[in-house]
Amino acid sequence: MSAAQSPLLKVTGLQKLFPIKKGFLKRTVGHVRAVDGVDFHIDEGETLGLVGESGCGKTTTARCVLRAIEPTQGKIHMRVADGSVVELGQQSPREMRALRRQMQMIFQDPFTSLNPRMTLLDLVGEPLLVHGLANRREREERVADLLTRVGLRPEYMRRFPHAFSGGERQRIGIARALALHPRLVVADEPVSALDVSVQAQILNLLVDLQADFRLTYLFVAHDLSVVRHISNRVAVMYVGRMVELAETTEIFERPRHPYTAALLSAVPEPDPRTRARRIVLQGEVANPAAPPSGCYFHPRCPHAIDVCKTQTPAWQEVSPGHFASCHRAQELQLAGVE
Amino acid sequence: MSERSAPLLSVRNLKTYFTQDEGTVRAVDGVSFDLFPGVTLGVVGESGCGKSITARSILRIVDRPGRIVDGEIHFRRPGANGGGASLVDLAKLEPNGAEMRSIRGAEIALIFQEPMSSFSPVHSVGNQIIEAIRLHQPVGRREARQKTIEILRRVGVSTPEQRVDQLANQLSGGLRQRAMIAMALSCEPTLLIADEPTTALDVTTQTQILELMRQLQQEDGMAIMLITHDLGVVAEMATDVVVMYLGRVVEQGPVDAIFHEPRHPYTRALLRSIPRIRARTRERLTPIAGAVPHPYDRPSGCPFHPRCAEFMAGRCDRQTPELKSVGDRHAVSCFLYE
Repeated sequence: MSAAQSPLLKVTGLQKLFPIKKGFLKRTVGHVRAVDGVDFHIDEGETLGLVGESGCGKTTTARCVLRAIEPTQGKIHMRVADGSVVELGQQSPREMRALRRQMQMIFQDPFTSLNPRMTLLDLVGEPLLVHGLANRREREERVADLLTRVGLRPEYMRRFPHAFSGGERQRIGIARALALHPRLVVADEPVSALDVSVQAQILNLLVDLQADFRLTYLFVAHDLSVVRHISNRVAVMYVGRMVELAETTEIFERPRHPYTAALLSAVPEPDPRTRARRIVLQGEVANPAAPPSGCYFHPRCPHAIDVCKTQTPAWQEVSPGHFASCHRAQELQLAGVE
Repeated sequence: MSERSAPLLSVRNLKTYFTQDEGTVRAVDGVSFDLFPGVTLGVVGESGCGKSITARSILRIVDRPGRIVDGEIHFRRPGANGGGASLVDLAKLEPNGAEMRSIRGAEIALIFQEPMSSFSPVHSVGNQIIEAIRLHQPVGRREARQKTIEILRRVGVSTPEQRVDQLANQLSGGLRQRAMIAMALSCEPTLLIADEPTTALDVTTQTQILELMRQLQQEDGMAIMLITHDLGVVAEMATDVVVMYLGRVVEQGPVDAIFHEPRHPYTRALLRSIPRIRARTRERLTPIAGAVPHPYDRPSGCPFHPRCAEFMAGRCDRQTPELKSVGDRHAVSCFLYE
């Protein structure tokens, strides 16, 4: 593969275990397998949606990619601005700091992710200041420009975040993330705290900015409808593992893993005429500190057979670009959404 | 339908205001609707639309400085000792008086969004349900415990004999919500108010809880007032829908009319703006401009006029539209229909 075609981000065998400590000596008595062997890549300019229910490890995966937390195992290769590919785990802290300019994060809650004592100018200008990029005048100009790009009036830059609504605050967070012209933006549930009427504004803004700035998104969300509107490809996680990954239309219309099919069927649609028969899964999401044997999904899976209880299914390409880890991925006919 | 003739709950021109030094927040500002026995009424709206305060007003648990300043809440009580049903105006009752206390928790039950904070962390879940039963029914401790175990089994809690002695934090989110429903149903209410009952739950757990509520309604015939911001959940569950915006009912009607022939510009715009799972991949959304105004900064006239695409200057910003019938049980408050 030539450098020009290699993906922007390539994650191999990513694993993150959190130790469970007990007793006076704080001995490690087990591990929460938050992320347990995840592989994926993201091409430049595309959006990969990462979905799953709470505790499935999607946020931990995102944070490992940014090295906000250190992965236990696995490699993260990123193609940097000069075209060379670096492994993030082998970077010195100083090198990492420079790399961080190219990867930024947008958070879920715009009410707690902005310092209430900083003005918009400080908030959006802080990354420029930290990286020594601009003097005061230039910084103000850049901030004004960024605010305009995210749909806020530059006159507001001396105000504090409390004067803004949730949607506007999310715009501030986006401006701050874009200040350093990142290549990769990790957005962790960026619209789930917003009112429904405001979600659409922010989703459209993210799509526009992606085109303008040639951004690559890792978009973490639990809402499958939101994911459909923004992603080129979608990855589904369950208890620390990836169960399926495919192009968006493909995974929504032809899911190959029973968990994906159940998730799709569980989404209530805003149309009373499509009250469909839902796949009601029994039981609850497995405990990542003591996952079941074999396929982690087998205790809830309506299609489980004996082999599912004992053997971990392999991550296989069931059709070009469509990956799933299910023993029966080839034979099952699962319903998606039309 | 004959049951349509006598509503179980009839709210007329309800106004609940919060008067503070900064000004008066008109959280509920002239809300009227009827709720019929055995029917699910969906109340939808974004944050600050007054949907939860309407519910709390009905139960008379509005926190100070909130106060019902006007309006009537007629509730049909089942006749005592085989006598005929009687109508009471809950708005006239003493919030902590004997009559209100005999209604609240017994004839009208409430389930909240956050089951963790609704249970005491230091008493077992079972004891809290037992307490509710003994408060409203003349049964002994042992009999109440037996009833509790039965009702836990009915709401799908496995091994209820053991669960009954567990603390809320020992249960998963889905089980806690089941326990919450068990507590609400323990006194066989005629009206169940569910305030965002599945918002904190994962989508597969949400399916289970919605399914459970539907099944229990079929068995017991109670009316459900389902408060949510999720239009999918409403389309799935409701028979009738009330759409609220800034303390007022903007539109109400049968669920099919609301979703397929919405009349109010807000309902229409809201339905256009939400992401849909059946959309084309990466389809662009049609957002509503602006954001929900701050409660102290309430627009004059029709509260939606600053965001409305069909705003008529001189009319919508001066006068407040009243609910007008536009079809069978379908009413809308908008000058376009006057």
